[in-house]
Amino acid sequence: MRVFVVTVLVSLLSWAAQAGEYNLTVDRVTIDAGEFTKQGIGYNGSSPGPVLRFKEGEEVTINVTNNLDVSTSIHWHGLILPFQMDGVPGISYDGIAPGETFTYRFPIVQSGTYWFHSHSGFQEPEGAFGAIIIEPEGREPFRFDREYVVQLTDKHPHTGDRILRNLKMSADYYNRQQQTVGDFFADAQSQGFWSALQDRLMWGDMRMMKADIEDVQGFVGMINGKSPEQNWTGLFEPGERIRLRFINSSAMTYFDVRIPGLEMTVVEADGNYVQPVSVDEFRIGVAETYDVIVRPREDRAYTIFAESMGRSGYARGTLATAEGMTAEVPELRPAPLLTMADMGGHSGMDHSGMAMGDMDMAAMESDGMSGTDGAMAMDHGSMNGDMSGQMGGSMAMDHAAMGHAMPEADDNPFYADGSGLIPEAANGGRFLAYTDLRAQRPLYEDREPTREIELRLTGNMERYIWSINGVKYEDAEPIRLQYGERVRFKFVNETMMTHPMHLHGMWSILDVGQDKWNPIKHVISVAPATTVYMETEVDAPGEWAFHCHLSYHAASGMFRKVIVEGGPDSVADGDAEAVDGQEGEA
Amino acid sequence: MTSMSLKVLVSAAVLSVSAGAYAAGSHSGGHHAGEGDHASDGHHSAGNIGRAGNPEDVTRTIDITMYDNYYEPEVIDVNQGETVRFRITNQGALVHEFNIGTAAMHRSHQAEMMMMVEHGVLKGDHIDHDMMNMDMGNGHTMKHDDPNSALLEPGQSAEVIWTFNEQANLEFACNVPGHYQAGMSGEFDI
Repeated sequence: MRVFVVTVLVSLLSWAAQAGEYNLTVDRVTIDAGEFTKQGIGYNGSSPGPVLRFKEGEEVTINVTNNLDVSTSIHWHGLILPFQMDGVPGISYDGIAPGETFTYRFPIVQSGTYWFHSHSGFQEPEGAFGAIIIEPEGREPFRFDREYVVQLTDKHPHTGDRILRNLKMSADYYNRQQQTVGDFFADAQSQGFWSALQDRLMWGDMRMMKADIEDVQGFVGMINGKSPEQNWTGLFEPGERIRLRFINSSAMTYFDVRIPGLEMTVVEADGNYVQPVSVDEFRIGVAETYDVIVRPREDRAYTIFAESMGRSGYARGTLATAEGMTAEVPELRPAPLLTMADMGGHSGMDHSGMAMGDMDMAAMESDGMSGTDGAMAMDHGSMNGDMSGQMGGSMAMDHAAMGHAMPEADDNPFYADGSGLIPEAANGGRFLAYTDLRAQRPLYEDREPTREIELRLTGNMERYIWSINGVKYEDAEPIRLQYGERVRFKFVNETMMTHPMHLHGMWSILDVGQDKWNPIKHVISVAPATTVYMETEVDAPGEWAFHCHLSYHAASGMFRKVIVEGGPDSVADGDAEAVDGQEGEA
Repeated sequence: MTSMSLKVLVSAAVLSVSAGAYAAGSHSGGHHAGEGDHASDGHHSAGNIGRAGNPEDVTRTIDITMYDNYYEPEVIDVNQGETVRFRITNQGALVHEFNIGTAAMHRSHQAEMMMMVEHGVLKGDHIDHDMMNMDMGNGHTMKHDDPNSALLEPGQSAEVIWTFNEQANLEFACNVPGHYQAGMSGEFDI
């Protein structure tokens, strides 16, 4: 350990005024996902691309050469930088034309685990991503003897264009867990015929299915480019502390991550230190990062097991004391089903087919519903009318009667009461919740927001249109913010999908009710039928993207341009030094 | 929750904290060190960890600085029988602890500190002293004043005077939830 500390000090000195130059080529590559091989896009000849290691305080120069026959781009996900360097075609710049080299230059004003990816078309799902590690100027607020990047993805045999085309044609194209006629009769037996039928009718009218947790199934979960069979392995000596830098680079997939036999101490979320919290399992949303410390003391292998939230697939890797060692790979747990709670205030959905009044409500009092004990306190009168806004608060239906697994509401406000998505640790232990996250070092003074902006996350699953406030990107006005204000964003998820919302260029301070200790993130996951608040100090002039990070949601309209007006004049001429003083306290 | 069940919860926490205090604190003053009579702590040969020291016996003063979330220094050489004055300062932005014990003692103390967090005694950067010192009616409080430890808010300092016995694997550690696991511990080389 002493050696490590000395090394850090020495490297601090030598890095002091570092100006690193890095070269990336954007290439067609072949991706071997085990079950299938496909053509994709990578960096420097492979997917994932290289791990870029920067140093806080460094001025980086990154030359990106496009060897594709189409335009490309690289977005430095989570990095605070001048907007012209942010890499979003049509907002930050024009992109990088085939055969061209674009040179990014910006100061590194932060530390932590981040990643980079193409922001053009579906290049990112095709493999165009890599990891970024930024060493801090000072000492880390935790100790580790070695570290590994654990970059997750959901590799699909189809191209992104084809996936979106199929989803547009039929939103359940990739839904392999649809309930079948067989399920219906099983439910009818356990719940009674009318209950089962009523359940199906209700969901049919929503144009949603209870298994609609993952739009795109049929992927292979991968860790650092290795399929479960190919088994990415990280070596360790017993007793060492290992820092695992989890990055979810999936197009569409949330993962529930655990390492049976090891407690994981979460020390960083989205690149920012959090007060350490030890858990048995955590859920990582698309584009989020979590750094955890584990300390395996035994001379054996441990499985890193990342089940998709909808349980349609998994990624697997191994921590071992020698190559080739493996540990047991757990079975996938049963797929959760969405519940009526997840349907919440889905007023953004298309209700045209919602003819609840046609349903024979009398049937609900019949024998088939005997399991409900008359607890069905649904206001049927209101169901005949416009459902908008009714489902949220007034739906006092006895969910147990619906025959779904109903975990306790926990005290996790980041899921709807009775949601089918509330996670539980496989070993019955502690599952990380957003409410467990506390900033280790608040970046900003805690102050009252200057105003609130409501963003309803809306969509029509059937037509596969995703939007914000009912308007898709191409029809929407930009969101205009004033430099220097602190904006409180209110996300109201009116859909039944979980949306990882990503604001570029400025931090997203997630409101977990801890004031100055609220964690500082770059992706805020908003579960179905929930309202989540985040606050942003508007301290980065220019134009930025703000979108759902699910690739096919962003592409079909859940996207906004944000314009920050005012601020330092020097920004107008594109001076890379314009944005400084960003990093908050040292 | 009714006030009744709250009371039960709080007393459970107090009892648990006191049990910990016996395990560690009974090495002080009037107790005989090294007799292994601590029923509440089966994890180590009690007494070997040493005992609260007499200020007159102090041969050396060692400064310990607590940061978020680590100590400076992280390894301390001491001699068997030596009485050391530890001058501890919390330079971090969070509450931290300096606690002398074995890994097993620290583990059981972590459970108690978790309870202090859950009951609002221990906040991120301060300690609710009113809550901690509240007399629960039976003489018990959630006081954290064992002679082998110091629990400090940011900017605070304290002294711990300790006489060492021979005990392998003696550590100093911060048992604020998560901190030990993040690496906030150090070793005594005896």
